[in-house]
Amino acid sequence: MNTLALTNNTMTFPTSKDPSAANSKDQAVDIQTIVEELKHATQPVGVPFLDDPKFYTRDVDVFYTGAKQAIFGVDLDIGKNEVIAMIGPSGCGKSTFLRCLNRMNDTIDGCKVTGQLLLDGEDIYAKEQDPVLLRARVGMVFQKPNPFPKSIYDNVAYGPRIHGLTTNRSELDDIVEDSLKKAGLFNEVKDRLQAPGTGLSGGQQQRLCIARAIAVSPEVILMDEPTSALDPIATATIEELIDELRQSFTICIVTHSMQQAARISQRTAYFHLGYLVEVNKTNTVFTNPEHRLTENYITGRFG
Amino acid sequence: MDIGQHTSHQYNQELENVRNQSLQMGGLVEEQLGKALRALMENDSQLGEEVAYSDYRVNRLEVEIDEACTQIIARRQPAAGDLRLVISIIKSVTDLERIGDEAEKIARHAISTEGLSTSLHTALRHLGDHVREMLRRTLDAMARMDAETARQIAESDLQIDAEFDVLSRQLLTHMMEDPRTIRDSLNVLWCARSLERIGDHSKNICEYVIYLVEGKDVRHTNRPKAGADVSS
Amino acid sequence: MMQMSNKTELVRASLAKRYAREKRFRFWGLASIVLSLAFLAILLSTIFMQGWPAFTQTYMQLDVSLSTEALEVDANAPADKLRAASYDTVVMNALTTRFPGVTERKQKMALKKLVSSSATYDLQKMVMTNPKLIGTQQSLWVMVDDDIDTYFKGNIDRTQPEADRRIKDFQLVWLDDLEAKHEIERRFNLPFFTSGDSREPEQAGILSALMGSFYTMLVTMTLAFPIGVAAAIYLEEFAPKNNPLVDFIEVNINNLAAVPSIVFGLLGLAVFIQFFGVPRSTPLVGGLVLTLITLPTIIIASRAALKSVPPSIRQAAYGMGASRVQTVFHHTLPLAMPGILTGTIIGMAHALGETAPLLMIGMVAFIVDIPQGITDPAAILPVQIYLWSDSPERAFTEKTSAAIIVLLFFLVMMNLLAVLLRKRFERRW
Repeated sequence: MNTLALTNNTMTFPTSKDPSAANSKDQAVDIQTIVEELKHATQPVGVPFLDDPKFYTRDVDVFYTGAKQAIFGVDLDIGKNEVIAMIGPSGCGKSTFLRCLNRMNDTIDGCKVTGQLLLDGEDIYAKEQDPVLLRARVGMVFQKPNPFPKSIYDNVAYGPRIHGLTTNRSELDDIVEDSLKKAGLFNEVKDRLQAPGTGLSGGQQQRLCIARAIAVSPEVILMDEPTSALDPIATATIEELIDELRQSFTICIVTHSMQQAARISQRTAYFHLGYLVEVNKTNTVFTNPEHRLTENYITGRFG
Repeated sequence: MDIGQHTSHQYNQELENVRNQSLQMGGLVEEQLGKALRALMENDSQLGEEVAYSDYRVNRLEVEIDEACTQIIARRQPAAGDLRLVISIIKSVTDLERIGDEAEKIARHAISTEGLSTSLHTALRHLGDHVREMLRRTLDAMARMDAETARQIAESDLQIDAEFDVLSRQLLTHMMEDPRTIRDSLNVLWCARSLERIGDHSKNICEYVIYLVEGKDVRHTNRPKAGADVSS
Repeated sequence: MMQMSNKTELVRASLAKRYAREKRFRFWGLASIVLSLAFLAILLSTIFMQGWPAFTQTYMQLDVSLSTEALEVDANAPADKLRAASYDTVVMNALTTRFPGVTERKQKMALKKLVSSSATYDLQKMVMTNPKLIGTQQSLWVMVDDDIDTYFKGNIDRTQPEADRRIKDFQLVWLDDLEAKHEIERRFNLPFFTSGDSREPEQAGILSALMGSFYTMLVTMTLAFPIGVAAAIYLEEFAPKNNPLVDFIEVNINNLAAVPSIVFGLLGLAVFIQFFGVPRSTPLVGGLVLTLITLPTIIIASRAALKSVPPSIRQAAYGMGASRVQTVFHHTLPLAMPGILTGTIIGMAHALGETAPLLMIGMVAFIVDIPQGITDPAAILPVQIYLWSDSPERAFTEKTSAAIIVLLFFLVMMNLLAVLLRKRFERRW
């Protein structure tokens, strides 16, 4: 592993009381070289690979229009029933990578994805792979709660209906109830299932979106900053929910809150400028990250 | 491992302050130990009084540092290196305070004894010098965040333990030969015991330094050359 | 401290200027609104003042004797004989009975012209529905001629010299007599809404123009709405972005919206009538031309409405595994519908008032019959207004304004409908 040299074991002399300009300049040069060397790294630091993964991704590049590359050679395995958090500064490619996993990038014009992305060993970018089918297997929850402007019931029933999972009314009722229960929302809305979903509070709306996603029984749920628009209590509820959902689903979550990543995930992946820098057990990342850039990011240093 | 370069200068300052305070506390403790040993060797009960009295400064620093660390944890939620720094400071401070207490005990013995017989004197001085040196190097490693040195120092605690064993056996012989010296001998034993404890605390601090720098918890895991491999 | 107070002073000094600017801006804004409201008020009041009398019509009581001799048929005659009976004679008889002593030929002509020619048709209709009336004495109200009507509406000044008046002195004597005996009445002008155009102003109605407009709008609506919405959906949701061809199409749609409508009229003439042979003067060809004019408006409005649907809804639908078509038809389109409908209705309202292109395709013809379908020749409201405003008779001036009022009424109704639909379908998200 040629990235070993970059890890955090280097020591510097205790900082003087006023960090001199020379010192910070050194640091800047240091970061520059590290980024330079990232480009030559063959794989991220830490434990990116697993036995028997749910998602197997190797050498994933994503290009946007104008040959602008958003992601550079990401290698990552995502395990079954694990919560993996993706963190990194804005524009580091974590959301882009997340959107590769259910081909949401297809909806963006001029977006090109190359590399190997396998879900249970199946190439999800293969010609014969249908994105509609893929998205029934890999659900998604977005940053802003975005329930359809329909009733709560119709929101949850939408997925099963369009995918034709059931034609039986009472069966559909059961799916809706079950999904709402799993999302921890049923008790709050059971008397007003026909009320508009947009009338709920922010946290409830987001749980409705989660219920909507799990109504089609996906195998993986992708969450793109699901709590960034919510207050701390609603956030805590969602986090609690994520922990419960882990029993049945694989969950990939992009978050800007490092504390959130620390609280809910088993593994944490750190992205920087489109590179996957480090993937490690969350415990390790937050106490003793291996890569200097990870350390700098999660401790809030310049970079 | 460096403290600076945070986006928040205030945070930089807070970490810097708490670290400086802990180093300052280390310096104070080192001075206390030196004075206590001198009081003991030179039978200077006044100096002993002074040392015993100054222990409150150590205690006060401990409380201050703990408070500062609590504030940092509560308000900054440190992670990774910063987290390890704060944790190791909190723990080191406890050990430093204990060292201060041991120094105070030695000082109190210095006040209560009239004088030591030469042989005991020499043995005790030898042990005391060793321990002082160990503490000095420990604080140095702490200031430099030098894990390698810290590891060496931690290993050297075994020598201190061995020396203490020798000294206590010597004292035992002494007491059996001449029961009149039991009181003195016990005094010396208590002092030696304190010194040995200081060695243990120094070793703990060294382990925190290693944890701080390398993120590895080496406590109770590797006792090099300690015979039985408990684990690795 | 010094600096602080200095800054406060500076800010305070600039405040007056800022507020003055704000006041000025508000004044100009208010002034322009007042100005436009004033113009609107002038326009509306002129039209209403001129057009209002057209909604009433002067009627005159006539005692007719439906004698067999005069009609030259009896009650048992077949329908075609009944239709051809000489009702003229009956009306003339009634008038001479009412005003005996008129012997001069010129005065006799004038006497005949006292009532509208529709009196004979009314009589004919009456007898046709009930032939038993033949041989009886009937009293009925008939429309007076347009000149007489104009006189009673106060638009002929009897103090003018006789030569300058359309009503001569001997006629005034009759009219005064009629009025004095309460044989003159003003009633609501129902025939204005139930009959077609006519050379006789008192008989001219707007129903044929209304029906023509209705059929034309029907054609326009059925063509422009689905085509426009489909084009908008394709361009907005399916067409590849940053494709030069698509950009070219977009630019051209925007250009089409700015093309003068007369050009569309010429196009319609050349393509629809001359090339495809669509019958001229019909709502069908009018609707086709208006479709061309309305399409850009509908496409642009629909695209704006589709664009304003938050992308999060699309994302949610895609994320659920909905296909593109499902996403559009389950989510985007329903949410964009209020905007699309508003745009469509405004486009239709625009088309309703469009005149120039229809002149080119022959919808300027004089149409008396009420069109029964989209292939019958028809006039439409704005063209009817144009035709009437061209006619010399004083009564047509009124009719012109009345037709404008009717047109405005429909435009307002359509805009109101747009607002209502918006309110009704607009959903919060």
